[in-house]
Amino acid sequence: MASLSPRLYRFARLLLQIGALIVIWLAAVQLSEHWLHSLPPTVSGIAIALVLLGLGLVKREWLTDGATWLLREMLLFFIPVVIAVLQYRELLDGKLLAIFLVIIGSTACVMIATALAVDLAWRIEEHFRHSDEKQS
Amino acid sequence: MNILSGLFWLALTVLLYAGMRGLHQRFPRPWLSPLIVVPAILMAVLLLARVPYAAYNAQSHWLSAMLGPATVAFAIPIHEYRHVIRRHWFPLVIGVVVGMGVAVFSTVWFCRLLGLPEALERSLSVRSISTPFAIAAAPQMGGQAELAAVFVVITGLVGMVLGEWLLGWLPVRTSLARGALFGAGAHAVGTVTAHKRDTEEGVISSLTMIIAGMLMVLLAPWLAAWV
Repeated sequence: MASLSPRLYRFARLLLQIGALIVIWLAAVQLSEHWLHSLPPTVSGIAIALVLLGLGLVKREWLTDGATWLLREMLLFFIPVVIAVLQYRELLDGKLLAIFLVIIGSTACVMIATALAVDLAWRIEEHFRHSDEKQS
Repeated sequence: MNILSGLFWLALTVLLYAGMRGLHQRFPRPWLSPLIVVPAILMAVLLLARVPYAAYNAQSHWLSAMLGPATVAFAIPIHEYRHVIRRHWFPLVIGVVVGMGVAVFSTVWFCRLLGLPEALERSLSVRSISTPFAIAAAPQMGGQAELAAVFVVITGLVGMVLGEWLLGWLPVRTSLARGALFGAGAHAVGTVTAHKRDTEEGVISSLTMIIAGMLMVLLAPWLAAWV
């Protein structure tokens, strides 16, 4: 019993943290449904959590374990959605090669453009940081 | 009886996932990822047993429902690394805007070049962001959430391989640029790859991915009319 209780305590704490994240999500869903129709809950949920954390009403340690668990096991939550592709067999039939080409080509474009743009943005940032330091 | 068969598929999904995750940890090959193997096995079983998707999803939809709370969990890394955002807000904004702009427009152009139907084009256009965001953005873009989810998964796997190869010859000097490349190009799968390479790269990758996802969800209704 004595060796089990710390593990039980950790497990209960994890469930409680996941429960808290679910409550924030449900609040975000209500918010988009009744008040802010153009703000999707995927965005407002993060915003609510950030406001709670920013105001100090919720401490990050209260949510960290639950959040880490949800993000680590997120693959499990995708599976039913991925399987739903079975319903679209006719639409995909004979087009798999083209789809792969689109994904490979476009992903290469995204990666090259993003990396070069961010490198350039970093140089601009450094430039302004140095000129700020000279002024002060 | 219906409830029991629904619970059976739910339990089978969770058990297969747990088993394959263990196997993947022991043999970390990309094609052994639970996200490839588990849907492949389940789809084969459903097709062979002639079980319709609705019967599979009768209780399994509870798993998809957890994607919502999982997006709330993204607030934790944003809060934890807010000093990184404050310091590097400019390259982060540039990375997200360039990454998402190129993702949507290059996807649409490639689709038109190859003559893919508009239903696929719309679902493909959100493939660069993390799955929970893509599921929210796809219907607003005029696509299908389920197709978008599959394309997101393929993008992650393609991007993981492509990213390492591109960084072999691309003239980028900063870990900011390398992290943004993975976050914008290959969302969560890329972020895992970036984390293995370097901690700062991983942080930038996850911030880019989260901000890009939120931005796409917000902009999807306007982008849909635009492309």
